[in-house]
Amino acid sequence: MDRYQYLLLMAGCLLITLPLELVLRARVYRRPVRLLVALLPVVALFVAWDVLGIERGHWTYSARYTTGILLPLRVPLEELVFFVVIPICGLLTYEAVGTMLGLLRRRAPRREGRDA
Amino acid sequence: MPEYTALAVLSVLLTVAVEVFWLRTGLFGRLQYWLSMAIVFAFQVLVDGWLTKLSAPVVIYDESQTVGVRFPWDIPVEDYLFGFSMVTLTILLWVRWGRRHEEVAG
Repeated sequence: MDRYQYLLLMAGCLLITLPLELVLRARVYRRPVRLLVALLPVVALFVAWDVLGIERGHWTYSARYTTGILLPLRVPLEELVFFVVIPICGLLTYEAVGTMLGLLRRRAPRREGRDA
Repeated sequence: MPEYTALAVLSVLLTVAVEVFWLRTGLFGRLQYWLSMAIVFAFQVLVDGWLTKLSAPVVIYDESQTVGVRFPWDIPVEDYLFGFSMVTLTILLWVRWGRRHEEVAG
């Protein structure tokens, strides 16, 4: 089980942020094209940074807590998952905060709300 | 300056430059963004804290590539710059080009 620790942590991040989509109407997963447009350049850039970090010896990965599955250029599978999961969590947070602020503004009307 | 430190600082400068000189979304003037970053930061401490804890690290840093300041627990401070750049860039693209795409797509 230890070797799935990094992946399980990422799964936990997805799970804990899921209510932001379902309850707080973040509408991130429901706009998959827009999500891809935001995600692809970030994943590409940060995987590149990761490759550099690995090549230059800035960091290494625990053999015990990772699956050992390596993508091209010696990038652990977990790292690719990280660069997809964490930005999604960021977007869910941003949109959920937008929902909350929209609700607050509607209760104290001053300006028009965000798009529904 | 240690290499990871230099790259982390550079990433923040580039991210800010992307917004200021290119995308111009106005994101940095939005309460929604700063509240979100505060929340992201709080959760980064938990997740990053788990990944970098020296008692059982998942990611192992070469101390000579960082300034050596780890806070809280064992999180190298450079990671916060890394996180800022990654999440901010994502939101910038989401706000800027996502919206444009949706307009085109109807």
